[in-house]
Amino acid sequence: MVYFMFVMMIGLILGLMAVASNPSPYYAALGLVMAAGMGCGLMVGYGGSFLSLVLFLIYLGGMLVVFVYTAALAAEPYPETWGDWSVLLYVGIYLMSVIFVGKYFMVNWYDMNWVGVEEISGLDMVRGDFGGVALLYSCGGWMLLLGGWVLLLALFVVLELTRGLSWGALRVVN
Amino acid sequence: MNPTTLTIIIPSLALGTTLTFISSHWLLIWMGLEINTLAIIPMMTRQHHPRAVEATTKYFIIQATASAMLLFASVTNAWTSGQWNLTELLNPTSATLTTTALALKIGLAPLHFWLPEVLQGLDLITGLILSTWQKLAPFAVFLQLHSILNPNLLMLLGVLSTIIGGWGGLNQTQLRKILAYSSIANMGWMITILHYAPHLTLLNLTLYIIMTLTTFILFTMFNSTKINSIASSSSKSPLLSIITLMTLMSLGGLPPLSGFMPKWLILQEMTKQDLIIPATIMAIMALLSLFFYLRLCYATTLTMSPKPLNMSSSWRTKTTYPNTLMTTSASISTMLLPLTPTILTLMM
Repeated sequence: MVYFMFVMMIGLILGLMAVASNPSPYYAALGLVMAAGMGCGLMVGYGGSFLSLVLFLIYLGGMLVVFVYTAALAAEPYPETWGDWSVLLYVGIYLMSVIFVGKYFMVNWYDMNWVGVEEISGLDMVRGDFGGVALLYSCGGWMLLLGGWVLLLALFVVLELTRGLSWGALRVVN
Repeated sequence: MNPTTLTIIIPSLALGTTLTFISSHWLLIWMGLEINTLAIIPMMTRQHHPRAVEATTKYFIIQATASAMLLFASVTNAWTSGQWNLTELLNPTSATLTTTALALKIGLAPLHFWLPEVLQGLDLITGLILSTWQKLAPFAVFLQLHSILNPNLLMLLGVLSTIIGGWGGLNQTQLRKILAYSSIANMGWMITILHYAPHLTLLNLTLYIIMTLTTFILFTMFNSTKINSIASSSSKSPLLSIITLMTLMSLGGLPPLSGFMPKWLILQEMTKQDLIIPATIMAIMALLSLFFYLRLCYATTLTMSPKPLNMSSSWRTKTTYPNTLMTTSASISTMLLPLTPTILTLMM
């Protein structure tokens, strides 16, 4: 189990480094897939299976797919990735940063313990992750409305930005 | 702009700032700041040319980074202390990260590099909203956290901002970039005194907003965005150019105008707190800011630019637009100094 968590954490950090260091959106999206997948595995290991499944579905299966399709429209024939030395320099810098942060900002980098989702509040009927989502719909009523409004706002902002085919803000190039 | 879009954007801007004002939960504060960022994006691309779109992209990326840093700070704070309340003590990492994130949001040096270019790409009214309304929500967080944040970091950000705001504005001929550097310098003054006397921060913020409001509206009335075009303003409307002179001198902090009030009180508070060296540095750097305000006044009001004789006076026709806002804010931004004790009591 410890090695499972270990692999997940290493994969998460590697995936994030891939996202940050790749100049090409294809390989960065690949890094995102790896980071999201490993992060979901990490959450599953500590009991947050609902959140992990929802993340897979919505983030990877919805948002990332749309992003990859739109990035494919801006095609680049020879994308740079980890094979080139300039990109590897960035990866080296991020690796150094991870080691630095781990060594100097954490008390024992090898000895940290996480609380699993079942142990968050002792004697509850629902688990930590699932109960939190349900709370949004019950006690957090106004925040639900706010969340809905923000989603609508994002939609309207995007619609306004792309309005007008060739005279709008973001223009169709023929 | 499309009225439907405006009906959605302006209430969303109000909603975002209000949400940040009234919240005590870190997540809701972050949400308010993000709503503000999102809602102003279409307004910034109102003029559909590439410079505005580039300015919008830069603004969005910077503000998103700042919001992400703020979220990271609040999540680490929740992790180490177990609660999300704003008024409880922050652990030092979260406090520093929060300060840096909010400094990036309002454009304090050394995180100021985006502000002149973004402001330059926008039209004057959107620039006005960016300079005034978008500063309210981060300052609401600053004011509530004033005793918890690191005073050394705040002082460093503040003094550096006055230095860079003064020096950076010296070589500018575009009015929007001048106002951007003016914003950086004024934010520096506000942040310096935050830890010691937050009511003076609030006072400076209020007066800065009113003075900047007046300046932007005056520039809109002259329909000019650079010193070249505002130099011929005395023929368009000599009264407006005199009001411009007064307002710019007030922004520069000259007595007996009301812009002197925050600088005076801040310097007094700093000497009481034994912060002589930062106070001296800031007072001297304010002279640099005053120089470029004075240059603007020189071009606008104090000299007539070379022009043919029949341009020196034009018909003074009645204005078709209501100028109530400009007149009230110009009066407030120049004549408020005798009321200093009242205003101090209001800000307490």
